[in-house]
Amino acid sequence: MTTLTIFIIGAVLSVSILYLVRKGKLHGPYATWWLMVAVFAIVLSSFPKIIDWVAIKVGITYPPTLLLVVSVSFILIRMLTMDLALSRKEQKIRRLTQRLAILENDLNKSDSVHTDHNVPD
Amino acid sequence: MKTLIVIPAFNEADNLAQLLPQLCAAVTADILVVDDFSSDGTVETVRNQGLTCLRLPLQLGAWGATQTGIRYAKRHDYDFVLTMDADGQHVPHEIAGLLKAANNHQYDVIIGTCPQRVSRLKKIAWRFFKIISQIRIEDLTSGFRVYNKKAIDVLADKTASLLDYQDVGVLLLLLRADLKITEIPVKMDIRKDGKSRVFSSWLVVFKYMLQTTTLCIANIGAKKSQ
Repeated sequence: MTTLTIFIIGAVLSVSILYLVRKGKLHGPYATWWLMVAVFAIVLSSFPKIIDWVAIKVGITYPPTLLLVVSVSFILIRMLTMDLALSRKEQKIRRLTQRLAILENDLNKSDSVHTDHNVPD
Repeated sequence: MKTLIVIPAFNEADNLAQLLPQLCAAVTADILVVDDFSSDGTVETVRNQGLTCLRLPLQLGAWGATQTGIRYAKRHDYDFVLTMDADGQHVPHEIAGLLKAANNHQYDVIIGTCPQRVSRLKKIAWRFFKIISQIRIEDLTSGFRVYNKKAIDVLADKTASLLDYQDVGVLLLLLRADLKITEIPVKMDIRKDGKSRVFSSWLVVFKYMLQTTTLCIANIGAKKSQ
C-alpha cells in the first residue's frame, strides 16, 4: 500500500516537473535535479527491495534508516547549493545596481555636453 | 594626484546641505555623493551644489554605496579615494592631514580614528572582534579612510561586493591582499554620532555581531601578515 502511495507521489511529481519545464517556469539545471528525484521515487517505490539489498551491502540492519539518512543528506546538500546560488545572485544584483548608477551618471554627463554644444554663444 | 571624496548618503539632505559647502571650501578634491535610494531630496541637494551624485536604483546599504564610489574612482582613474560619512561626524578640515599621510606612499590605507567617540558597549564588541580576527587596528568601524590605487583595486573587486559593512570585512580583505594600514588620530564631531545604522536596535546589533563573528572565524589564517 505504501509502495503504491510513493509510486503515485513520484508519478505526480515527474508530471508536474515536466509541465513546469514546458511552461518555462523551471530553469534547466533545477528541472534536471527535480526530475531525477521523481525518477528515484518511482524506481524505489516499484522495487523497494533495492533499499534492503543496498542496506545489507553497507551493513545497515534496519534498511529504512538508509533511506532517511541518504534523503536528509541530499536535502542538506541541495539547501547549501541553493544558498550558494542565492549569494551569487545577490552579488550580481549588487554589481549591476552599482554599474547602473555609474553608467547613468556618465550618460547624463555626455547628454549635457551635447546640449552645451547646441547652445550658440 | 587625483583624489575623490566619496560620501555614501541615505536620507541625508539636511546634513549634506550643511556639510557640502564646508567641504567645498576646505578641499580641492572631487566630491562624489552616492545616494543609497533615499526618499528625501538628497540628490537635489547635492546637484544644487554643482556636485556629482550617483543614484542607486536599489538600496544596497552603506558599504554597497561606498563601493559604488570606489568603482567610480577606478573607472575614472583616481589615485586616492577618501570616504567619509554624510552626517557631519567627520569634519572637513581633518581631510588635509589624512591626504598628506596618503601622499607619503608608506601605507596603502589611512584610517582616521577617534576611539573616544564610541560607547563602552561598542568598545567591548571591538575588543572581541580584534581578538578573534587578530586585526591590530584600534578603530574598526571608522568610515573616515583614504584608500590608494592598490586598495581601490582590491575593494572594487567583486569579492568585496558581498560584504555588508565597511569595517572588519573590508579590513580583512585589505590585509589578505597584503596591504599596509595605518591609523591617524582625528577629531570627530561626537555630538553628531547620533544614529549609527549598525547600533540602532538590539536585533540589528545581534545580527551584526553574528555575521561579523562568522566572517572573522571564516578568515582565521587567511591573511598573510600585518
